[in-house]
Amino acid sequence: MGELKSVTLCSAEDLQPGERQLVKVDGSEIAIFNINGQLYAVRNKCPHQGVSMVYGSIDGTMLPSDPHTYQYGKHNEILRCPLHGWGFDIKTGESLFDAEKCKIKTYDIRQEGDSIVLYLNKEPKIVSLIETNACFVS
Amino acid sequence: MVNAINEKNSAGSTKTKQLVIDSDVHSYFNSIEELVPYCDESLQKRLNIGPFKKKSFNGKVVSSGEFRFPECRYINPGSVLRLDAFSPNGSIPGADPEFVAKDLFDRSNTVYGVLNSANATMGAFHNVEIANEFNSVYNNWQYENWIEKDARYKMSMLVTPLDPVAAVKEIERIGKKPGVVAINLQTTSIPLGKRHFYPIYEIAEAYGLPILMHPDSESSGENGPAQAVGPASTYMEWHACLGLIAQRNIASLVCEGVFERFPKLKFVFAEYGMAWLPGLMWRLDKNWKALRDEVPWLKNRPSEYIRRNVRLGTQPIEEPFRSKDLLEVIQMAGAEDMLLYSSDYPHWDGDEADRVFNSLPKDLKNKIFYENALNTYNFNR
Repeated sequence: MGELKSVTLCSAEDLQPGERQLVKVDGSEIAIFNINGQLYAVRNKCPHQGVSMVYGSIDGTMLPSDPHTYQYGKHNEILRCPLHGWGFDIKTGESLFDAEKCKIKTYDIRQEGDSIVLYLNKEPKIVSLIETNACFVS
Repeated sequence: MVNAINEKNSAGSTKTKQLVIDSDVHSYFNSIEELVPYCDESLQKRLNIGPFKKKSFNGKVVSSGEFRFPECRYINPGSVLRLDAFSPNGSIPGADPEFVAKDLFDRSNTVYGVLNSANATMGAFHNVEIANEFNSVYNNWQYENWIEKDARYKMSMLVTPLDPVAAVKEIERIGKKPGVVAINLQTTSIPLGKRHFYPIYEIAEAYGLPILMHPDSESSGENGPAQAVGPASTYMEWHACLGLIAQRNIASLVCEGVFERFPKLKFVFAEYGMAWLPGLMWRLDKNWKALRDEVPWLKNRPSEYIRRNVRLGTQPIEEPFRSKDLLEVIQMAGAEDMLLYSSDYPHWDGDEADRVFNSLPKDLKNKIFYENALNTYNFNR
């Protein structure tokens, strides 16, 4: 893999904590999130049925436990598909139920100065922000 | 008698015989009066049998004065017993151990047959005290009259699902006897995954006894309902929908984490069919992906627990429009190691060993007829 190409997406003001944006990079959509100051970027397509992940809720999950016991964890680390609720670790893109075979692609995203910068494998030709409907984080 | 399995070829040598283990054979008594010697006086009194037998006003009145099992409320327009299986001594089909061994085991090359009471079960009887005592009596009767008569007979022992404490005592009493290979737990309206049953599951796992479920009198007494949307009008409708009970209970067992708590415990669902299995697995797996927070104890896909811990009796095998599709269904579910041949002898809807799986490849047939049962029951206890 060659050196990653950086793309400035928007100013940091446009992606404040609790906010999310949808970006189109050539033909692909990427959803970007600011969760309490931590930035994440994932492909905007659930691997299951292609639903737009930018509308997904972010929460935690019940950790593996003994029968009839519950332990909540990974708070704010799980991005869920807005249709069926499949959960993905927002840091790694790994699904909760099959980390190896079912993943959503993640991208490196950082705040550099006042800009939000995305890192891609190749130089994109067209990058644009797409307007989304109101996102309600449940 | 037709005997394709054992027939000789033109050269006179015997063809390779497919060994058969039959997971569902029914032993009948000619009359409940056969149980009288095994009952104490108080049980005879409470069942109105023996010296306390009521005569129904010389047969003129069907009344609750006579003992009646919880029974199927549907009327089979034919015969529930196959009419080619009367014993030469006049016994009704399934009531003469010597003849059953000859008519079924010798003919089908059966190594072992698991006897499951299906005409005499009291798990769903409202009075649990009577049910407990009846179960012990029946277990003793079956052991003495069948298990001890021919080493090929094995049995699932009756226990009362509504009384786990008594069930455990009964398992402690006879669960390690040679020939007892499973626990016959009838359905009630308590789903099988519920904690109510765990004392039974604990000892069953420790003793290496699978839990065997067999339809009997669903929708009657304390038995579970047979239909999801309301009672059927006909036997045909009732019988065709029995598979729903297995599906519902398998979902309960998986989701409640029974196979996480009791990883070595096996459940045999006999006579509920199998063609619904791929759909149930797919549906549970799909839901687990989205709803797994409800059941975080499931470390694997639901279908994997089903494959590991559930076994299905094959009878009455579904007969697809194209017979070769049966193999497809088995492959779709990955059920090659889950299926146990069952004849259901002497019932009207039984499957003949020499005919039922002729469309399947030889190695799969051997699994269904023999290997899978060896891996499910301990016949050498």
